[in-house]
Amino acid sequence: MTDQLDHQVTVEDLSALMKRTAGVHVDPVTLGQQADDGFDTFGLDSLGLLGIVAELEKRYGLGLPEQAERCKTPADFLALVNGALRTGV
Amino acid sequence: MSGRQRTTGTDRRAVVTGLGVVSPHGVGVEAHWKATADGASSLGPVTREGCERMPLKVAGEVRGFDAAETVEERFLVQTDRFTHFALAAAQFALADARFGRADVDSPYSVGVVTAAGSGGGEFGQRELQNLWGQGSRYVGPYQSIAWFYAASTGQVSIRNDFKGPCGVVAADEAGGLDALAHAALAVRGGTETVVCGATEAPLAPYSIVCQLGYPELSRAGEPERAYRPFTEAACGFAPAEGGAVLVVEEERAALERGADVRATVAGHAATFTGPGRWADSREGLARAVAGALAEADCRPEEVDVVFADALGIPEADRAEALALADALGAHARRVPVTAPKTGTGRAYCAAPVLDVATAVLAMEHGLIPPTPHVSDVCHDLDVVTGRARPAEPRTALVLGRGLMGSNSALVLRQGGTSPS
Amino acid sequence: MTRRRVAVTGIGVVAPGGIGVPQFWSLLSDGRTATRRISLFDPAGLRSQIAAECDFEASEHGLGLATAQRSDRYVQFALVAAAEAVRDAHLDMDREDPWRAGATLGTAVGGTTRLEHDYVLVSERGARWDVDDRRAEPHLERAFTPATLSSAVAEEFGVHGPVQTVSTGCTSGLDAVGYAYHAVAEGRVDVCLAGAADSPISPITMACFDAIKATSPNNDDPAHASRPFDADRNGFVMGEGAAVLVLEDLEHARARGADVYCEISGYATFGNAYHMTGLTKEGLEMARAIDTALDMAELDGSAIDYVNAHGSGTQQNDRHETAAVKRSLGEHAYNTPMSSIKSMVGHSLGAIGSIELAACVLAMAHQVVPPTANYTTPDPECDLDYVPREARERTLRHVLSVGSGFGGFQSAVVLSASEGALR
Repeated sequence: MTDQLDHQVTVEDLSALMKRTAGVHVDPVTLGQQADDGFDTFGLDSLGLLGIVAELEKRYGLGLPEQAERCKTPADFLALVNGALRTGV
Repeated sequence: MSGRQRTTGTDRRAVVTGLGVVSPHGVGVEAHWKATADGASSLGPVTREGCERMPLKVAGEVRGFDAAETVEERFLVQTDRFTHFALAAAQFALADARFGRADVDSPYSVGVVTAAGSGGGEFGQRELQNLWGQGSRYVGPYQSIAWFYAASTGQVSIRNDFKGPCGVVAADEAGGLDALAHAALAVRGGTETVVCGATEAPLAPYSIVCQLGYPELSRAGEPERAYRPFTEAACGFAPAEGGAVLVVEEERAALERGADVRATVAGHAATFTGPGRWADSREGLARAVAGALAEADCRPEEVDVVFADALGIPEADRAEALALADALGAHARRVPVTAPKTGTGRAYCAAPVLDVATAVLAMEHGLIPPTPHVSDVCHDLDVVTGRARPAEPRTALVLGRGLMGSNSALVLRQGGTSPS
Repeated sequence: MTRRRVAVTGIGVVAPGGIGVPQFWSLLSDGRTATRRISLFDPAGLRSQIAAECDFEASEHGLGLATAQRSDRYVQFALVAAAEAVRDAHLDMDREDPWRAGATLGTAVGGTTRLEHDYVLVSERGARWDVDDRRAEPHLERAFTPATLSSAVAEEFGVHGPVQTVSTGCTSGLDAVGYAYHAVAEGRVDVCLAGAADSPISPITMACFDAIKATSPNNDDPAHASRPFDADRNGFVMGEGAAVLVLEDLEHARARGADVYCEISGYATFGNAYHMTGLTKEGLEMARAIDTALDMAELDGSAIDYVNAHGSGTQQNDRHETAAVKRSLGEHAYNTPMSSIKSMVGHSLGAIGSIELAACVLAMAHQVVPPTANYTTPDPECDLDYVPREARERTLRHVLSVGSGFGGFQSAVVLSASEGALR
């Protein structure tokens, strides 16, 4: 479980997850530029975000905080998830 | 509550203004009608992954369907194939009816009603595999909305922002007609428009295992022999996927927006005589026909074509022939009877809805399509076989019976009330 | 078309906490809860490991062995509830015209539990996609299609009129009664067995609600886990069960000398076209369903004496419907008791709407409002009178029951006391 300390979820990862789990295409550059826009402006709904959280939890083998699925923007989400990955909480 | 006596709009009429079809014959009304009119058969081997060793060999698969051409990917990832069909067929029907956003006075004036016989079986099997193969955390967030029977109505409503009365009849085959009747009642009761129909996708491996319990399911190996109702060789039915969605509107509202009034949903009735008791379905079906004719204010002689249920079980076929004789009298021997579903297979709830769409097209084209794979009819009926028959049908009777025991009849009249 | 008046003449209930109407009413009027750790399977590993289960043995409730063997648990529930309702209505089907009798039953997930059971066999516990048909058990086709539900009930009681299974997610139980109401009111049938059943307590259904965190994870305290409208609510608690109502043309009921509980006076349903699982904060579509049902009943919102809430106990639901009820009933909402029996019997998906209507019928019969169990801490956003923990006597002439379902369904049913009612 050491790799979780090394890994951070990037904008590219998030873009790929949005496409794969929710069918929402936003290229990483756009997502990075508009990281403070609401997920809903990209067409990602609450179930889609739950699916992404579940994917990350399986990938890194840990539970993410409950707030993760309530994040409104990509920036908030990445900050929260990467914070949790750093501390391993 | 004192002496409530009220009327609902008896002058409101439910008419069909648009058709959307996803059928084994092809995607879209044109492809479906061409193959149907030609008497072509689209029955073939079951080719879907995991079905190779099943005792079911022949079915009507929808081939060449790319949902992404019509529906956004975010809807597709969260839905099963049966809802992909419904979303696409609904868009086709709305386009066919030239019904756009500008035609919606209020989102509450447009409802969605579908019938579903088995829901999202392929999606469900995948998630069951995730659960039992890997663990509960591997079940995705969309399982809760993809497998259940209401998925198509909900997604069509959401995608199009239709907030009117929304309903789902989770039914056997007859339920496809019941859904249309439900839509017509909603229209007569005050809703302007109902997007209504049924689509099915029962050709996933586990879904097929479930259907093997139906004694009526044909296990024949060759497409030419699998589904031959009304003949001595009848050995059950071939299942199918796909279906149809119709735009049903209040007639005056349709005319006001300049829509083509294609047909009127004139009458419907339903009865129940129990699963597998096909001899009893004679009385049930005859009563359904009589009820539908009465509601349509239609004499038996006015029926120009019958789209038969055509189950393909000798006892059931006999009951259907006798029911027509009981309900239509001497006219039963003269009226052309067709079962184009022998060329597509029976897509459960969707089968009679597809027949309704085909009936509208038959009235418009002045052509009664034939019954593929059927010749040497052994009942006292004029079954249209071989080639399509030119005619001028103005009134069609569509029949449906279900494996769970329901019987349903629907009367369609060409056009609306005003002379066309 | 003249609309006929529609009477409720019989009810039957299979619910957690006891089978049959007396046991059901005893639980509700005492404010007891029937939620517990799941015993129908081993829930270890699930986020939510609790449910309201029925202690149900088919053989103890008059079901023959053959019927029991071919019927899934949810169908068994419906058959037992229907038998109680028919007895309660003193309805002798041999004296009825069977072609004028209908059956309309709702279910959200139908035979899913049985489908999962056989899936495990044919797939060798999820090991193969190309499942082995030879391992399937008999009658699996009856689990495949939910049409089986209404078919089984119609068969059992000799119904030959229109038979429908309604499946609009968690409003199925309200909509099934609503469809039946229309069929009777519009003269298509004289009598209709109307209700709903579900038995969704299975690994796949629990797991799919886990995945969207809709169910309560209060595994340490199941008895207090279902907390509708409470500030500490954190999801619904799964339930199971069935209820069936005998609906009848009022004149038909009078002609045969039947006792009338009450009348169904209004029903409406709309879609929210918003989200498959999400609800708006404003509740406009549910308010519209309430308003339309009230119009049909020719009532003003101020006539409503009790609101039987959907009250699932999720954060969003309870706010949504509080907003909707306030919108429709106006200031009167604050003076109207509104409770959720899901606090006691859990949320049995498609079945619960009919179970709640049975509760409304009983509430009117007893002139007692059932409470919301476990309600202790107010939520500022849910500021109505939720009848905390204890049943309350009240004059009930008009009662409203509402529901929301996955797929966006929003439904409302109005029940009204019948003039000259014998009960």
